[in-house]
Amino acid sequence: MKTKKIIFILIAFLYASISANVSAQTVENPDSSAIVATTSQVSTSETQQINEPTSGPTYVVHSFINFIKSTGFANINWQTIIMIFIACVLLYLAIMKQFEPLLLLPIAFGMLLTNLPGAGLFNADLFAGGHVHWESFVDKGGLLDYLYLGVKLGIYPCLIFVGVGAMTDFGPMLANPKSLLLGAAAQLGIFVTYLAAIGLGFTPQESASIGIIGGADGPTAIFLTSKLAPELLGPIAVAAYSYMALVPVIQPPIMRLLTTKKERAIRMKQLRIVSKKEKIIFPIFATAFISLLLPPAAPLVGSLMLGNLMKESGVVERLSKTVQNELMNIVTIFLGITVGATATASAFLNLQTMEIMVIGVLAFSFGTAGGVLLAKFMNLFTKEKINPLIGSAGVSAVPMAARVSQVVGQETDPGNFLLMHAMGPNVAGVIGSAVTAGLMLTMLS
Amino acid sequence: MNILAIDWGNALDVVGFSLTMVFVLLVMIVFVLNIFSRVVAPKVRMPKTPSVNNPVSAPSSEKEYVKEHLPAGDSAAIAMALYLYYEEAHDEESTVITIKTVERRYSPWSSKIYGLNNLVK
Repeated sequence: MKTKKIIFILIAFLYASISANVSAQTVENPDSSAIVATTSQVSTSETQQINEPTSGPTYVVHSFINFIKSTGFANINWQTIIMIFIACVLLYLAIMKQFEPLLLLPIAFGMLLTNLPGAGLFNADLFAGGHVHWESFVDKGGLLDYLYLGVKLGIYPCLIFVGVGAMTDFGPMLANPKSLLLGAAAQLGIFVTYLAAIGLGFTPQESASIGIIGGADGPTAIFLTSKLAPELLGPIAVAAYSYMALVPVIQPPIMRLLTTKKERAIRMKQLRIVSKKEKIIFPIFATAFISLLLPPAAPLVGSLMLGNLMKESGVVERLSKTVQNELMNIVTIFLGITVGATATASAFLNLQTMEIMVIGVLAFSFGTAGGVLLAKFMNLFTKEKINPLIGSAGVSAVPMAARVSQVVGQETDPGNFLLMHAMGPNVAGVIGSAVTAGLMLTMLS
Repeated sequence: MNILAIDWGNALDVVGFSLTMVFVLLVMIVFVLNIFSRVVAPKVRMPKTPSVNNPVSAPSSEKEYVKEHLPAGDSAAIAMALYLYYEEAHDEESTVITIKTVERRYSPWSSKIYGLNNLVK
């Protein structure tokens, strides 16, 4: 009896939503309706007001239909259903598989929120044409629109970089400055992907934004894309963070393919001790030098170095802890939700997204190969041999890429500890990708 | 999409220039850091080999060296201990042994007497 009741209610609800959908379509397309197609001057809304009863059972039915029409169920379409499904898949990957959950979870939830019909949390038209339509903000702005301003104005990536800087130790890189070159070589993936994207018909601005996925640096990718191709922000952010989580899957086969067993077993000399004075002077010097040479890179590099100086100076312990924890976490939430919110059905469900996902893997692979091959090349000239496996860590993705170097190295020689050596190219990769982003901005904006 | 119709010259210019610039900039930083490290890097005093003339002084300088710079093995052991401590991976016992008496106290809520005798009249 109870089951029958539930079935009856479900059928009634389905019938009501279908009828509401049909009536909504009828109002939208006056040509298909004989009543609305009259040549009278009365507008559709006025006609509705006249026809609407004010009391009795018909009024109840009308109210019910109006309510159904106002729900998201009446406005749902197949694109929305697919987007909600994708959001649920990403949530599954974040929660159950723990793929970069700190970012993938808010991104997936932002994607879910933005694709709920009628909620109006995010209005892409407020940011149409690549600039903010301030005049419409008060009337139309939803919660996510206001939060998205942080992405649009390039605030969140820089704040994240302050936190990243405060958590980074440049010591291994300062002890072995050659590792900066490995960080530069790993940017090869960005440029190969740039050419591949151009070949697929993307504009140079879009290609640069897609290419920066190869930098394996989420904030840099978001910073550059929000400046050059904001319409691709959703797919690029999802691709960048998904592949960053897949670094332990993507990198090892390429590393093994490009190196011999003998090369993988190379033991590197212990790194020298880096003084506190060096660690304090480096962020000041690097900020001034890179920013003077490449001003568009100043926001990212300056933020990174500010965070690092807070940590290394040791005099602002409270600030250092705040940017590492509270600030970083708050900004991560805002960044994740709003970047996910840009992944609307119209922006995400197209061929471009598929192409971005495919060439995103290419970017990571070539970045890895670039670092490994330069390390092998350097071994031809240097007296102290470098284990080529640390070259792969040049693709940023701190510290996961360095851990991958360590794990692959220990497969050949369990007593070989490459982690600290790999941290050098790893942090150099962060600087390298910020510099590349600055160059791309200079040339293409 | 005709690949030949694309302005490859411009694309290759962007790639060539950017890649060169990234390398030039980072090579310049490497160069500066190398000079910098020679000036600022801490001078590590290596232990003197025991000389024939002054055999007593050698062990003291070695002690001093070890005091300043821990051996790699010790550093690794300390790092592991700290890691285990912060990750709470180490199983810690309370070290207090007690015998907990399990006593069933009387309660009117669980009393059988009330349940059996309060019959419906």
